[in-house]
Amino acid sequence: MSGCPYFQAKLLPSSKQHLTEDENNDSQTGVNKASKGGILYGDYLQLDKIVTSQVLQSELKGNKIHDEHLFIVTHQAYELWFKQVLWELDSVREIFISGHVRDERNMLKVNTRINRIVMIFRLLLDQFAVLETMTALDFFDFREYLSPASGFQSLQFRLLENKIGVPHNQRVPYNRRHYRDNFRGQESELLLRSEQQELTLLQLVEQWLERTPGLEEGGFNFWGKLQTNIFKGLDGEKEKIEQETESETKEEMMAEFIKHRDVFLSLFDDKRHDHLLSTGQRRLSYKALKGALMIYFYREEPRFQVPFQLLTSLMDIDTLMTKWRYNHVCMVHRMIGSKAGTGGSSGYQYLRSTVSDRYKVFVDLFNLADFLVPREWVPKMNPTEHSFLYTAECCDSSYCSSDDSD
Amino acid sequence: MSGCPFLGRKHHNSSQPEEDDSQKGINKASKGGIVYGEYLQLDKVLSAQVLQSQQKGDKIHDEHLFIVTHQAYELWFKQILWELDSVRELFIKNHVRDERNMLKVVSRIHRITMIFKLLVEQFTVLETMTSLDFFDFRQYLSVASGFQSFQFRLLESKIGVADHLRVAYNRQHYRDNFHGQESETLLRSEQDSSLLQLVEEWLERTPGLERDGFHFWGKLQANIEEGLKLKKQKLKEMSNSEEKEDMLEDLNKQTEVFTAMFDPSRHEYLLNKGERRLSYKALQGALMINFYREEPRFQVPFQLLTSLMEIDTLMSKWRYNHVCMVHRMIGSKAGTGGSSGYYYLRSTVSDRYKVFVDLFNLATFFVPRAWVPKLNPQIHKFHYMAECYDSSYNSYSSEETD
Repeated sequence: MSGCPYFQAKLLPSSKQHLTEDENNDSQTGVNKASKGGILYGDYLQLDKIVTSQVLQSELKGNKIHDEHLFIVTHQAYELWFKQVLWELDSVREIFISGHVRDERNMLKVNTRINRIVMIFRLLLDQFAVLETMTALDFFDFREYLSPASGFQSLQFRLLENKIGVPHNQRVPYNRRHYRDNFRGQESELLLRSEQQELTLLQLVEQWLERTPGLEEGGFNFWGKLQTNIFKGLDGEKEKIEQETESETKEEMMAEFIKHRDVFLSLFDDKRHDHLLSTGQRRLSYKALKGALMIYFYREEPRFQVPFQLLTSLMDIDTLMTKWRYNHVCMVHRMIGSKAGTGGSSGYQYLRSTVSDRYKVFVDLFNLADFLVPREWVPKMNPTEHSFLYTAECCDSSYCSSDDSD
Repeated sequence: MSGCPFLGRKHHNSSQPEEDDSQKGINKASKGGIVYGEYLQLDKVLSAQVLQSQQKGDKIHDEHLFIVTHQAYELWFKQILWELDSVRELFIKNHVRDERNMLKVVSRIHRITMIFKLLVEQFTVLETMTSLDFFDFRQYLSVASGFQSFQFRLLESKIGVADHLRVAYNRQHYRDNFHGQESETLLRSEQDSSLLQLVEEWLERTPGLERDGFHFWGKLQANIEEGLKLKKQKLKEMSNSEEKEDMLEDLNKQTEVFTAMFDPSRHEYLLNKGERRLSYKALQGALMINFYREEPRFQVPFQLLTSLMEIDTLMSKWRYNHVCMVHRMIGSKAGTGGSSGYYYLRSTVSDRYKVFVDLFNLATFFVPRAWVPKLNPQIHKFHYMAECYDSSYNSYSSEETD
């Protein structure tokens, strides 16, 4: 059977027992179960499908190029992980869509899965280092056999963009015009649905933010209180500057103050927000923005701790996607210089144009940093009066506690 | 078609930048020829995720991550085997005697280390699954176990993990999992020349070892003896003190180490025990490359030796990361495949599985630069001149890209 000690020519029987420390202890006990029936590893993972799907075009055309195998496997690994990201993303969207997110016990699940997406993207970023072991010269040897296949035709990548919330009209022109051309039949329908009908993660998070406790004008009235505090604080700052003796420094300080004040004036100007929304520079509704700022300022309150982690993870997704795009750009530039892409785009130049805030879905969360204020200006909470910070909603009639693992 | 700017209700295009060259191009996908999804056989790859928990009517969300993670590992194992076999082939066919092939060898071995680095990183993704969530579907995995990973065993075998050095449970059972063609392939991989054996033969051919040539080993031994003698004399001249005693003691220990180094029967003894894996001559070749690594002819060979150690290190880190995660997931429970689980895996994080252990241990024999035999470029030309023609291999290397 297995383990015949005389199998190897060179060795003497007395030679094998040198490292005796763990030969006879419990770590080596056990019975091999594989022969007892039941699904085995290779079947469980359908490895017969996975491990036979590497067909080199260069080999089919009679000119097998070694490095094409790496090219194929790398892209297949990316697509496997895209599938996993979509799995997690859809499950989170479902929790929001079905209303289950109103039971705040589901926040752990939401957070964990969004964070998992972040971890996968980190891995996908590291993965470039492996493909970068291929030289441009070696790529040149088989690139001709690839045409017109191109990453531009990756369905999962487009689904990902759409379901997170990349808006169609924000895509750069070449992307906007052509990206749907690559898909037909069922794929095309799926894509269209994800773009136009289904609620994106951005939209679902927007609705959730609008429901942030504390925004109610008849309740805590966060926005009203904040506005009052900020302008009181600004008045105080202005007075201090005015008390200074006339000098160049005083003028500079006053100019700085005015800039500072204008930023806050814009914060409370809802018409300005609508304008920025229409130009695509803002993506969240005014009310959702208020909710996000509330969560930022009161992140240490028990009820907002996990929501704050969620907002942070959403920004991580944007950051990692844009780093992914940039890593991709750098590698493509090295591989093909300024040549056109196999799919027909201008190649490097096109890809470079997609490394842009147009593709930043949660851009508003980043920009909230414009409106941070000293801690003393943040409206004070009174635990006895404002108990909503401690009391989560944990019962929703449409949802029963721990039934759905999904 | 696509691109109607008025489709989205809220936005309009006044802010879009002017089009420039970056936005030019025509979409080629409609013009026939293989497209992305077909090229990568995504219909197969992306339809291979079948949750056992779902089959049994109790769909558990996290099982999908478990499946995809393992499939990604197996994809990369395939890639490593692709690179490894191509390198072994270069040695087996003797193409490695044409030193122009060294770049290819070193690049591919280095690529293997880059993939292993990724595979170690990959644990962080599976670690986002809690042991509680794993518990929810583990029962549906039945007897499936990583112990049955065919590619992993091929990998170990082709790199050079010695069958007789595997820990007991591993040695006794690992071949039981494979039948028919897989079993034959595995057996054959144990009989074919492993990377270790091929590197050993290559090291034995290191220029400079020839007794009637540079005779590195003889010269080194003479220099070391001389060096030790001088050191001893200087110590003896010191006035008596505790420090002198300590230093003499150290010198004695050093002398013992070097005496053992030049004792071929001691080497045989350690080979038999499994504590050394390379032949005595190969060891000499490795030490030569280390000492003379800056000579042009040895620079790339030195990079190769470094990468080989990197493979061992990364495989061992992989094993350890795996152990840590399994401990967290199943505590001290037995493995699905039947092993003791965590305890078994832990026992495989051991030097028994370190294939190029001798390269690590070379550091035991390092000497001060002054003791390294001097090379005279007039007399000893071999370290500047590579062999780049071998009659069994046609020089124009781009004919066979493999």
